[in-house]
Amino acid sequence: MIFTELAQAIWVSLKTSGAAAIIASAMAVPLALFLSANEFPGKRFLLLLNQTWMAAPTVVIGLLLYFLLSRTGPLGSFGLLYSQTAMTMGQTILILPLIIGFAYTALSQVDARARITALSLGASPAQAGWMVMKEAAFPLLVAILAGFARAISEVGVAMMLGGNIRGYTRNITTAIALESSKGEFMSGVILGVILLSLTLGINLLVNLGLRSRD
Amino acid sequence: MISSRAYRLEQVRFQYSGSGFELQAEDLEIEAGKIIALVGPNGAGKTTMLMLLGLLLKPGAGTLEFFGQNPWTDGRLLDMRRELALVTHHPYLFRGTIFDNLVFGLKVRGMDRAGFGALVRETLAMVELDGFAEAPVSELSAGQAQRVALARAMILKAKVLLLDEPTANIDAGMVQRMEAVITEFNSRFQTTIIFSTHNFSQAFRLATEVMHFSDGKQVKYSHENFFSGKAETDGKMSWIEPKPGARIVFPGKYNSHVTCVISPEKIEALSVNESQKIYGQNQFSGTVSRLEMAENNRALVRVSGDLNFRLNLSLQEIEQKKIALSRKILLRFPPEAVEVIN
Repeated sequence: MIFTELAQAIWVSLKTSGAAAIIASAMAVPLALFLSANEFPGKRFLLLLNQTWMAAPTVVIGLLLYFLLSRTGPLGSFGLLYSQTAMTMGQTILILPLIIGFAYTALSQVDARARITALSLGASPAQAGWMVMKEAAFPLLVAILAGFARAISEVGVAMMLGGNIRGYTRNITTAIALESSKGEFMSGVILGVILLSLTLGINLLVNLGLRSRD
Repeated sequence: MISSRAYRLEQVRFQYSGSGFELQAEDLEIEAGKIIALVGPNGAGKTTMLMLLGLLLKPGAGTLEFFGQNPWTDGRLLDMRRELALVTHHPYLFRGTIFDNLVFGLKVRGMDRAGFGALVRETLAMVELDGFAEAPVSELSAGQAQRVALARAMILKAKVLLLDEPTANIDAGMVQRMEAVITEFNSRFQTTIIFSTHNFSQAFRLATEVMHFSDGKQVKYSHENFFSGKAETDGKMSWIEPKPGARIVFPGKYNSHVTCVISPEKIEALSVNESQKIYGQNQFSGTVSRLEMAENNRALVRVSGDLNFRLNLSLQEIEQKKIALSRKILLRFPPEAVEVIN
């Protein structure tokens, strides 16, 4: 694998997984805040569903979206299959329950007095929610980074929805799969080391964050 | 028109879901600019009442008005919440510095940041934390944290300040200074201050009016005489000794911890001549420490001694019995005048 292809694969990984992490976080964190601040019938069931979804195999998520985005599927007219957009969509769905779960835990552990205190000092509900998120800033960042790490290291969704097109939808994990299938194990190993370095770096940050919180 | 009445509660009820406890406030009015104390044992409803007055809880029934408006129906709930500030018991400080905490309320109100520095300095000086603005809250003692929470509310100069046991975590020496801060704040800014306390002495020292709560109900709203203690009984009469040798006797059979109240109107002051008669039960001596004018040509007489009492006497009686500041006085009340409230 030549250097430009390698650089392109790394860029596609960072771009699609980064976008997935941002989009998933934008949905997950407010939802987690709502769940942590409210009790309502069915809440436990929703959390259970979320936990179940976390364990869904990546190929299953890839397959479901494949059916939706294929030409004969309901969203086929958008022509999204085998695109970076489709990869981002799939990874967003993959990591959404993970970030919801981690963010819910982080926000639930914020002292309940934080929200009441904010309200008692004249904050609107939105301002109070923002204050609660600030109180859980580091654990929330840890949750988002964990989601990003999960997205960048998965192959099932990327392969099924991206198609592993060179220079376009080939990311690190699909490149590893391809190089291995070609017998180019050294290239696969190098890519694997790069991916591991990226995820190691992220996990290091996560662990350092957890340790400092403790 | 701005009402001179800070709060009016009419037939207000509040119950936490799943709880058997219900707070009831019948006809209750709080005048603006006063200092009000809420007293009562744990679980009596003081904190719940403060949360209701802080507009953080919505009454399940009845009407609550804040300066003449109903916050829950007039569509101005947030605006009204920003006219008051509540300091909770065991207050929570946000991460960061004391400065970050003090300016929180100012920021949410969209106030001009240019003035934050001066306001923070002024307010920290009031609570004797000058120069501590940049200190991280994680390094504060419990007493300092309590003062920061107080300062965080005071800096807003709201119309109403609600304080849940404001001196609970503060050492005795600082308590007196913080009490002075509270009264000074009320005097300077005409802020209505409503605070809860277990300390009856503190309540009567600071407050213009005292409300007593028991089992979720407001029991009294006047300058009553409250005494608590473990009751003993001989089967017909019972007594408590709030201080050794100072026994209050009342009818009934009680042998647990009770709170008794004696209305100031039911306490008789004895003139120098009458004091020769030995009355026995519920007879105490003391020194007149304060005289305050009350309504209808009457005055509240504060007597300090083994036990401290408030009497409500007519001006004529005060003159006849030569009751004056620093004069020794004998007072008495019949056992039937003692009301056991819990």
